Amino acid sequence: MFIRSKAHPYGRMLSIETVRLLMILLYLFYPLGCILQLAPVSGDAEKWLAGGGLLMVVAALIAFAVLAGSSLQRQVQEPESELDERESSERNRAAFQAHSVFSAIVLMGVLYMMLTTDMAEAGKLDLWRPVTGAHWNAIFGGLILLSFTLPGAVLAFRKAPPAEA
Amino acid sequence: MVYNRLSVFRAERGLSRKDVAEKVGVNPQTIGYLERGDYAPSVELALKLSALFDLPVEHLFSLKPFTPLAQSLRDPET
Repeated sequence: MFIRSKAHPYGRMLSIETVRLLMILLYLFYPLGCILQLAPVSGDAEKWLAGGGLLMVVAALIAFAVLAGSSLQRQVQEPESELDERESSERNRAAFQAHSVFSAIVLMGVLYMMLTTDMAEAGKLDLWRPVTGAHWNAIFGGLILLSFTLPGAVLAFRKAPPAEA
Repeated sequence: MVYNRLSVFRAERGLSRKDVAEKVGVNPQTIGYLERGDYAPSVELALKLSALFDLPVEHLFSLKPFTPLAQSLRDPET
């Protein structure tokens, strides 16, 4: 997802350090915020944890909104014809690596679900599994954010800072 | 590794990276990557750049490091 604005048709130029910081913030705050919000606690602690978790998720979504308008995200999402040869080759490499990482994460998730379901049914070990709609929404939301941002993250952590002057 | 003297010739002509980028149809960042040696251009881009500077392509790009300009002036045979 690339959000093009009239002021920045080629995306807002963010320093590579800023992009990396926003990516780290997104990838830490979204899962932590979801865990805090959905933690099975009761009483006063529940309100505080849920509130803290909500703030973390909102911070992660703000980081995502900023990244969605960046020039790096443009490089990831723009049609091939709009990129030059360097941008295009970097994007293709990043997309391949991001696909590998995304597939590995989904595979690990599926294996975890398979094992925990089997173990719970056998009465051996009852590990946490997503049960409610809120659990599944949190997981799907995370996967959507990851699929939108992972190629950009690969680029951001491989790139040297650009020079335009 | 492909070495180049892009920054030398660009400075000599008084062109910015943006000027060069516009003339050869790439993003200005790409010129920066080329000058730093972080990106090896395609044959097409190398030929466009050599045409822009009106030079044979081997004067702009090389597989071996170029002799520093000061040394070339001291010893024109190198």
